[in-house]
Amino acid sequence: MTWFSTIFYRNRRLLNFGMVIIFFLLITVSDGVVRPFLGNIAMSIFHYPFSELKSSIDNLKNVAEDNRNLKNTLTETSLQLSSLAEARRENHRLREFLGFEPPENFRVVPVKIVSLGNMGHNQYPIAAAINKGLNDSIKINQPVINRFGLVGKVKEVMPEFSTVQLLTDPANAISARIAESRQFGIVRYSPVEGMIFDNLPADAVINKGDLVISSGLGGVYPSGLTIAVVDSVLSIKGEIKKSIWLKPSADFLEIEELYVLESMIQ
Amino acid sequence: MRVLPYLLYLFLITFHLIILSDLISILGARLNMLILIIVIIGLFKSETEAIWFGLSAGIIVGAARLDLMPWEVLVITVIAVAVKQVSSRINLESLASKVVVLACSVFLHEVIITLIISTEEIFFILIRYILPGTAYTVLIGLIFFLIKDGRISRKKIKALF
Repeated sequence: MTWFSTIFYRNRRLLNFGMVIIFFLLITVSDGVVRPFLGNIAMSIFHYPFSELKSSIDNLKNVAEDNRNLKNTLTETSLQLSSLAEARRENHRLREFLGFEPPENFRVVPVKIVSLGNMGHNQYPIAAAINKGLNDSIKINQPVINRFGLVGKVKEVMPEFSTVQLLTDPANAISARIAESRQFGIVRYSPVEGMIFDNLPADAVINKGDLVISSGLGGVYPSGLTIAVVDSVLSIKGEIKKSIWLKPSADFLEIEELYVLESMIQ
Repeated sequence: MRVLPYLLYLFLITFHLIILSDLISILGARLNMLILIIVIIGLFKSETEAIWFGLSAGIIVGAARLDLMPWEVLVITVIAVAVKQVSSRINLESLASKVVVLACSVFLHEVIITLIISTEEIFFILIRYILPGTAYTVLIGLIFFLIKDGRISRKKIKALF
């Protein structure tokens, strides 16, 4: 037994490196099993308690103000509700008249943010971890929204958690259109310029305040989801493209409650 | 090798990542607590401790975005091993050598992770965020090293006033 421990002791450095390399290869190659498993453990033990603590502190700070605001909002909302009910009936009548059926193939799954990934040096976080995963039927590429509009899409799924690639990730470009003029383009986020609307011809009629919605092209996002409003437009004489800066509908520094859109078509 | 202190370091890194990071950032410059702790362990602890702590920290930090996890693990583990290798060749009594090791580690980590995420406007990000963030981390590291070497103590601060 002594010879075994001697060999082990002499080669401990080699053994250490070997084991770490095996670990690294497992994490890199087996991305469908080992990575979600480790991610789930790290989230449950290390990230989750602190994000709970953070949201508890934030909640405590805002409770009095929220209460006052909620009372005001409740009064306003009850007034709006009665007018909306009438508008809904009218809308239904008009849709029937036009023979148009809204795309009711999605249901919303409410989720809560567990951690925000502020990797790199963006003004906004580029990814968010949410508290539902494979066990709650969350799937990769499902659109994620909040009450203001589109926020991103599900990028990775673990058993109890998922990660969302936000619209503020420079790698996340989506097909969109101007709601009024129906012009198509690409919305992407640049760390320097902010959210911009690309690929729009110079003769396109765009005004400040125009709504930008998802086009439905690409198969990930359904059409009509609010993305942003046009903040400023720059047309340079002789240029074939217009530069358009957008103001995102969702405030990416304040996101907390999100909804995953789950398709009802299997 | 006692495990408990390292678990506490990992909790400290996550605590900083989720709660402290935004609160103590100065004009967008963020303290890189992760690399600060990795360098301290690399400088003052054994190679085994540095390498395993680097691996664990990489997994925990990478959990926020799984596609970046292998990169985080690789970069942090390599930095931990490199710091250990360098520490056996430099004079650890010298404050300047420790600060240079810390500055290089933070800078490399920030640049590599930023390049992996996006190469767009790298020079702007370098000047606006990475260099101030490195300076901020080096400043905090410098204070830590001064306290650890006994060059700043409660007695000395009291004597000033």
